[in-house]
Amino acid sequence: MILSLMAEYSQNLNALFQALGDPTRRGVIARLSRGPASVSDLAAPFEMALPSFMKHIRQLEQSGWISTRKTGRVRTCAIDADRFAEAQGWLESQRLVWEQRTDRLERFVTENKEKQ
Amino acid sequence: MNPDREPDPELDLTISRVIAAPRQNVWDAWADPRNLEQWWIPAPAKCRVLDLELTPGGAFRTEMSTDGEDFQPHLDACILGVEDGRRIAFTTGLNGAWRPTVDGLVMTAVITMSDHPEGTSYEAIVMHANSAERDRHDKLGFEDGWGTAIRQLGELVG
Repeated sequence: MILSLMAEYSQNLNALFQALGDPTRRGVIARLSRGPASVSDLAAPFEMALPSFMKHIRQLEQSGWISTRKTGRVRTCAIDADRFAEAQGWLESQRLVWEQRTDRLERFVTENKEKQ
Repeated sequence: MNPDREPDPELDLTISRVIAAPRQNVWDAWADPRNLEQWWIPAPAKCRVLDLELTPGGAFRTEMSTDGEDFQPHLDACILGVEDGRRIAFTTGLNGAWRPTVDGLVMTAVITMSDHPEGTSYEAIVMHANSAERDRHDKLGFEDGWGTAIRQLGELVG
């Protein structure tokens, strides 16, 4: 049980690291760290045909770094905060868990107060 | 409980927040199981509190469900200390029946609430053992230079 979890975890991390082994993909992640963007905006700084660029986007998506959503003809990409925390390190991932938990507590308490 | 001990930056987390609500409301959000269920686990997953015995040695057990029907164990912890309205400390180093635990992420959390001019000063100190969980994570690729690259990216995102 523990071993299979380890293998799964290790596989996830390998995919995350492999996705970072390319300057285009690192550039995309750096841009998305400032907020979601469309594929065409992301592609603009790179001198690359769109099909080649899409391969990078798909690899980032498969590895879990980003998620994409299509609305009409525009595909929007966003960074996946949970996967990012996982790759950042053990303590950082726990920090994210507790920060988000505190966010929810804060929201719960302040929204309740407004109702009273 | 010795709350004056210095946190270890390698193992411990401190979350500090000023919450714009009276201390009693923040306490009630923690101490009433029906309230705790509302925020303990991220939506859309559902939380069920099995035990929240706010006394030293009391059980603190929660379950979670992704479909709202089939509930799985989530937290099984032991309450260490309680100061009514101000502090809750619990650990997963013992389960709710006092059995020592070795699997999973073992932690001790100390939640402190104090009055603040803008509401409540809220602090969570989370201490971890120098555990297998941590070592396991470190072995999975953080020794080979990737750690630095990811930290740099982390600074961009953070």
